[in-house]
Amino acid sequence: MRGVIKGVLAEELENSLSMQKSYESALQKLPQGCLVPKKIRGHVYYYIVQRQGQKIVHVYRGKSSPKEIKEFSEAKRLRAKYRHSLSRVKKQVRFLKGALRGKEPI
Amino acid sequence: MEKNQYKLCVEILRRFHQSGLMPHIILIGSWSVIFYEGYFKKNSAVKNFVLRTRDIDFLIENPKNMKLNVDVPELLKDLGFIVSFTGAKGYMKLTHEDLILEFLVPEKGRGVDGPVGLPSLGMNAVALRFLNFLTDNTIQVKVEDFVVTLPHPANFALHKLIVSQRRTKEEKAAKDKDAAISIIKALIDNNGTQILRDVFHKVPVKWQKKIIEGLKFAGEPELLEFITGGRPAKPGPQS
Repeated sequence: MRGVIKGVLAEELENSLSMQKSYESALQKLPQGCLVPKKIRGHVYYYIVQRQGQKIVHVYRGKSSPKEIKEFSEAKRLRAKYRHSLSRVKKQVRFLKGALRGKEPI
Repeated sequence: MEKNQYKLCVEILRRFHQSGLMPHIILIGSWSVIFYEGYFKKNSAVKNFVLRTRDIDFLIENPKNMKLNVDVPELLKDLGFIVSFTGAKGYMKLTHEDLILEFLVPEKGRGVDGPVGLPSLGMNAVALRFLNFLTDNTIQVKVEDFVVTLPHPANFALHKLIVSQRRTKEEKAAKDKDAAISIIKALIDNNGTQILRDVFHKVPVKWQKKIIEGLKFAGEPELLEFITGGRPAKPGPQS
């Protein structure tokens, strides 16, 4: 039997690995790109700015509805949150793998 | 990480309180030990001796009687919680890098195969045996400006001893036993011996035997003496 602490660390590693997958899939589900307004001849038009490989492209959306604007702004906020969480989870995975890598079999 | 975890835990509880969910749920598992601090006058540092994972479990005693609608995933979304599913049967968890939240319900009768739906909460729950033992005897502790319901420490500890014998992973069983022993010792230090004995003698004989076996296996004959009061397992209701 491995020790209690090793058992807890192994359980946490399992949790972190599944969390990593969950955050990656949550990030993929969010609408891609960022909705930005542009003022052209006194009118406001919206574009989705997104990365396509090496290039940054602006996709014309026209006059977006308040619902769409809200959706994109919520997605932007959540994307930042999930990216931060994903980065922390990756650090946890590295730490836990390191902590579990001992002389005893795990 | 621990400070963040505690803050996040309190924030979850605050949101549950504000949404009216609090009277329906009991905080169980190792996260409840944190809030026993106020209950124990002596040896209040017991929380430091109980190992905790990120799993935070909420028990709902009567899911069918709940007459409120709270979309829990939505309630906690802005904190960074995301819905994840585990196992082939799709048990729902709310995942955050610091905490993993799950709902549990007591398993009744023949039991259920798979998760129990909690449509009013937008979640599902895991049904487990012996959880009624935790709902039978609860305490309420004040956290900031609201009240949290927890299982009584005596029930918490004896429940851990019972379930430790159902664990398939030995280290989990050992963790349960360690937690139980820490809480029992804290209870004894805080004049809780009589409560422990009362709880012990109220449970079915089958459970009493499991508790005795658990303490014997853990090599704690003195605690066994304290709990049983020297009396053999008997009388309580038959299971």
